[in-house]
Amino acid sequence: MIGGSISRWTMTYFAAALTWLLVALALMVAGIGHPAADLAAPDTLVLVHVVCIGWLSIAMCGALFQFVPVLVAQPLFCERWALPALVLLTAGLVSLLAGFMALGARLPSAPWLLPLGAVLLVVGFGLVVVDLGLTAWRRPTGPARFVLVGLASLCATAAFGAVFAFALAGWAGRMGDAVLARGIPLHAVAGLGGWLTLTAMGVSYRLLSMFMLAPDVEDRKSRLTLAAGALAIAATVGGGAIAIGFQLGLNTVLSIAALFGLACAALYGRDIAAIFRSRKRRHLELNMRMAMLSFASLAATGLLGIVLVSTRTLPLYLGAFAFLVAFGWLSGLVLAKLYKIVAFLTWLETYGPVMGRAPTPRVQDLVAESRASKWFTIYYVSVWMGTLALLAAEPGAFRMAAAAMTVGVVGIVREIVRIRRLEDVASPLRLPAGAVAPHLLFAKT
Amino acid sequence: MTDRLVDDIRGALRVVIDPELGENIVDLGFIYDIAVADGAVRITMTATTPGCPATSFLKEGAQAAASTVAGVASVDVTMTFEPAWTPDLMKAGVRASLGFAAVN
Repeated sequence: MIGGSISRWTMTYFAAALTWLLVALALMVAGIGHPAADLAAPDTLVLVHVVCIGWLSIAMCGALFQFVPVLVAQPLFCERWALPALVLLTAGLVSLLAGFMALGARLPSAPWLLPLGAVLLVVGFGLVVVDLGLTAWRRPTGPARFVLVGLASLCATAAFGAVFAFALAGWAGRMGDAVLARGIPLHAVAGLGGWLTLTAMGVSYRLLSMFMLAPDVEDRKSRLTLAAGALAIAATVGGGAIAIGFQLGLNTVLSIAALFGLACAALYGRDIAAIFRSRKRRHLELNMRMAMLSFASLAATGLLGIVLVSTRTLPLYLGAFAFLVAFGWLSGLVLAKLYKIVAFLTWLETYGPVMGRAPTPRVQDLVAESRASKWFTIYYVSVWMGTLALLAAEPGAFRMAAAAMTVGVVGIVREIVRIRRLEDVASPLRLPAGAVAPHLLFAKT
Repeated sequence: MTDRLVDDIRGALRVVIDPELGENIVDLGFIYDIAVADGAVRITMTATTPGCPATSFLKEGAQAAASTVAGVASVDVTMTFEPAWTPDLMKAGVRASLGFAAVN
């Protein structure tokens, strides 16, 4: 999006991601892949990968195709790779999920499904990493640095995942089996912490400053935040790989990484508070108010982690911890920002070309915040209830919370569809002369 | 004559609305200068932030709006971020209605 260019397939990524989110919610409501169940259980693997790849990673990729060019003021290295990457990621995820279901005897045994899924995902993410990485590398400053570290973490996550997939198929030898036996925490930290969290942090620096008209966070401050996060990931991946290779304990490595991770979260909180304090725009739009709830969830995640580690109960409640990270912090932030990004991109696509030639509405005229706020409220309250249900080991209450989350997400999706269809824009301004109504699933420009 | 043309151009630019703030670029203080010489118009303008994705649309919008004014032969729009835009460049009434904070 340099100036007026809009990434053609960002909406397609968002639509695919939201579809996977609804699949994940349906699985949780149905009781398939309960977050508190054994992480290695096939149903849990299905749920975790639907959430982390289908929903969060695909939404993140779609957003990055749009925003990395903005962060670095350079065009995307190759816009044409976005659609093939999405096709590969979708095919790879479907194959991976089928492989997990075969492991759980929900499908006939087919060991090749997991390696096939891994290869497709590695190629798909490879296209994303090369495209975004070469774009960000042209001007690696500020939030773009977070994206670069996030992409490096994605490479580590995908590499671990590929080894696991080949090991589960029995094709990775003794070393692969050793990595599978002990490497899952490294895969999870690199994915949730490095790829998704650090990238979300980087993008949020820019989005929050832009939408609230706040000065950018001083470079040295954001660099310190990133350094803490990068050290956490480096300690996890590098230290963890060494520990596995030399058959040493992982606890020390993970403890060091957790300290760096907490420092990163605290420094990020300091930076975000500074953006909110220095904003010139006092009135907070819905996406900002809802983003604050995701920041609160991140803070709650940090506190929960400290309590669980200090009481030596982290393994017992890992599901609740991961659930709050995935749905309170990451999903909450992504949903809040999607609501704004879709409206902003739809405005640019529809009204940007006729600006100066005809009266145009505001971005805020494309949304109905009072109606949308109740869906977000339902979503966040049910996420927090779901976390409590997991901590209390109440599967029935958790499924009810998941059902309430589904209601919230369906409501948010409905609002997003209404934005794309310009349904809340008053008729005199809806389609001025020369303006073309946007397509629901992709940008026409 | 030139002053009147500048006023007409300024009036025409009011059709260009900042999508985020919902106010026209003149009252928001985005227009730093309008210079006219023999029908050739040079507009120097800004936006809220250099990273704003709507920047080029604002620039093109200003060019299109100014071009509609009678007596304008050509329009050249320069986007600058020096000096940076601050809310004190807005009209007082607009600043109050948008609830903007005092300038840092």
